[in-house]
Amino acid sequence: MSATAETAATAPARPAGGSRLDRVPPRVLSSAVGIAVLLLWELLARTVYAGSYRLSPPTAVVVEFFEFRGLYLRNLWHSTKTAAWGFLWGNLAAMALAVASTLVPWLRRSIGAVVLTVFCLPFIAIAPILRLITGPGNATPIALSALAVVFTTYVAALLGFDLAPGSALDVVRSYGRGRLTAFRSVRVRASVPALFAGLQIAAPAAFLGAVVGEFTGAHRGLGILTVRALGALQTDRIWVIAVMATIVATGGYLAIGALGRYLCPWSPALDVGAVPVPHAEPGLLNRLAGLLAPIAVVFVFWYAFLWVFGIEPFFAKTPVDVWAELFSVSEAPETRSIIFGALGTTLWTTSLGYVVGLVGALASALVFILVPWLERALMPIAVALRSIPIIVTTPVIILFVGRGLLTTTAIVAVMSFFPTLVNCYTAMTRTPEGILDVLRSYDATSTANVRNAYLPTSVPALLASARIAVPTSLLGATVAEWLATGDGIGAVMVTAFTRNDFKILWVSVAVLTIVAVIGYWLVAAFELRTLERMAPGISR
Amino acid sequence: MARRGAPVDVVGVGRTFALAGDEVTALSGFDMHVPAGGFIALIGPSGCGKSTALRLVAGLDTPDEGTIDMDGSSPDEMRRGQRIGVAFQDPSLLPWRTVTTNIRLALELVGRRHDTKAVDELVELVGLQGFEKARPSQLSGGMRQRVAIARSLVTKPDLLLLDEPFGALDALTRQQLNDELQRIWTARGTTTILVTHSIPEAVYVADEVLVMSPRPGSVVARHTIGFERPRTRELLLTDRFHAEVEAVSASLHRSEGQVVQLDTDPS
Ligand SMILES: Nc1ncnc2c1ncn2[C@@H]1O[C@H](COP(=O)(O)OP(=O)(O)OP(=O)(O)O)[C@@H](O)[C@H]1O
Ligand SMILES: [Mg+2]
Repeated sequence: MSATAETAATAPARPAGGSRLDRVPPRVLSSAVGIAVLLLWELLARTVYAGSYRLSPPTAVVVEFFEFRGLYLRNLWHSTKTAAWGFLWGNLAAMALAVASTLVPWLRRSIGAVVLTVFCLPFIAIAPILRLITGPGNATPIALSALAVVFTTYVAALLGFDLAPGSALDVVRSYGRGRLTAFRSVRVRASVPALFAGLQIAAPAAFLGAVVGEFTGAHRGLGILTVRALGALQTDRIWVIAVMATIVATGGYLAIGALGRYLCPWSPALDVGAVPVPHAEPGLLNRLAGLLAPIAVVFVFWYAFLWVFGIEPFFAKTPVDVWAELFSVSEAPETRSIIFGALGTTLWTTSLGYVVGLVGALASALVFILVPWLERALMPIAVALRSIPIIVTTPVIILFVGRGLLTTTAIVAVMSFFPTLVNCYTAMTRTPEGILDVLRSYDATSTANVRNAYLPTSVPALLASARIAVPTSLLGATVAEWLATGDGIGAVMVTAFTRNDFKILWVSVAVLTIVAVIGYWLVAAFELRTLERMAPGISR
Repeated sequence: MARRGAPVDVVGVGRTFALAGDEVTALSGFDMHVPAGGFIALIGPSGCGKSTALRLVAGLDTPDEGTIDMDGSSPDEMRRGQRIGVAFQDPSLLPWRTVTTNIRLALELVGRRHDTKAVDELVELVGLQGFEKARPSQLSGGMRQRVAIARSLVTKPDLLLLDEPFGALDALTRQQLNDELQRIWTARGTTTILVTHSIPEAVYVADEVLVMSPRPGSVVARHTIGFERPRTRELLLTDRFHAEVEAVSASLHRSEGQVVQLDTDPS
């Protein structure tokens, strides 16, 4: 550790002889870093990567935008409109489900399972399926955009309703009023801050859903523009789209954050990423019911979906059909080997990126805690990058890294890195001052501070981020494979899509969803156990 | 009696905090002299800067004016020499550690992690036998404070800083711990500064009671407590003890510039 780190870590209250950089205002520092990055980027693109399609210099991106601004703004407007509709419908649905879960407690588990399943769907592959129902229009991107926001908003709203102070609820009850009154008079108000935290995350997510929906075929929008540009290796164009998408998504994130702060300035920022997992009910029977009921509900929804939309049997596959495709029809062994072989590749590259992302995030958070000037220079950038839908920038990464297996790993790593970094760092900064004072009073080393304070306090945030990152990593991986790499289950799906092979498409969607749900629950179980071990009684 | 402790000289110390665009002067012209191995009690109205003063002496904060000297060392040097033990208002235990390992934390930090005997002794001293494996969340508020006290004592510091460490304890346990504190102090000769809101407690354990004014805090009265040691509970019932308590009480109320009901309950 450098001398700077030492001083900063042991006495952040008043750094006596800290680095001179500690006195530079944060805005100046992060602007300087931003400008340096832009210059370096320009330089690299003009020298090392000159003549290749890997990297566009920032100036070329700006020139490209102004040259074709009509085209860009038209498509941007289209995608933004799509995302706005998806945002509206998805959030309405999520809130309705959250209200139902709060008013009818025994529904909570099943609704939760459906919402989680939706979160775990490989969006890129369900676009073709949805298009069967909606036709070639704009409805599929809107539907995907809506599905993309359901989980976070549902979780945030539920958290908000549950945050209602128990004493206030007791008051309502003591007047002999029921759940509905309690809900109207106490819970709705109490939920506002958490709800806004959820809506804030939902804004970029809606944009992501819209663009992913457009990836698989639309007449207009940034998604289809990207796919065409990727095919023609138009690097400048891909960069313009990524930058525009980033600006709009981040703008939505910031605007909703500002609105939330304006409407309820008293509330501290709430992090929906760190939402706790529900406790398992005690007793084997309860546990079994808790496991089977949600699965049953998901199947009911599956059948209901096919029935309501009256999809033709050629396209529509029920759970029984999927099972038969995998295990009983004559081509089943062949299907199995295709699907599970590709799944193996996907899981391998994804897990690698997932672990690299999480470990890198934790390590960076620790560095930021120990070297404050670095934190002040880089954290604003990390926070901004965290809010953008990384998937939208996948094509940029594809061009830069190439089209190999490493691309998937890189995209997954980047996707899990930023949210985890921000969550872990925030948790570390909330280490109680008293504990740090005790450590300081014994002149604890940076290592001792990390081991005894920063690392343990960030564990809940790390595990929560790791849990949320399971489905998002699989989503990122399948998008990368679909668009570029030609490996893994994403490639199997895109082949099936181009051949109109709906059997393989349904089987892949089902298998991927199950894998994501299982992964999510494995991490959740590990999370519960770890927290219960670390600090029994206070974990929940 | 062995006098291992360091003398503490605080002269003309001031500390001002920036608070939401405003300034709060917590301490101004604060003087305090603690002889080596002395036992000082600090008493004063809430918010008068007692905790601030203690943090300055612990080297956790630096004064804006004035000096703090400990036998030629600055607080920061004392802190770096790992010669200080602190127990603050908030016990600040590590939630993921047990009673034993929380106490051991201090030993680990000073590089003596294997001194299990010291830990066992202190667990017994603060009356937590049977709870060695419990986590802070499974303890009562008073039990947590006792763990923090044990942690502050386990490294055998030269300077012991206690900020209302007995706040959440019942009268009986509090009295017991005061007796134990006195015993340890007598045996080790550790220089001790105790912040407390209880006048009888201050008079019972300290050599000298310093009364502080409301913010900006400074010392407005000194009461030397001459009772012979070891002090026992019989002392609590004597007239001279009550007279001393009344005297400190009177200075405290004079310092606040108002008359409130006397709190002379010997708890
Ligand atoms: N870090 C800080 N930043 C801003 N103001 C502070 C800080 N620490 C203390 N203060 C202010 O300094 C004053 C004295 O605080 P301090 O905690 O020393 O009081 P105290 O005498 O210990 O009170 P109590 O008996 O209630 O514990 C208070 O007005 C407090 O608001
Ligand atoms: Mg205090």
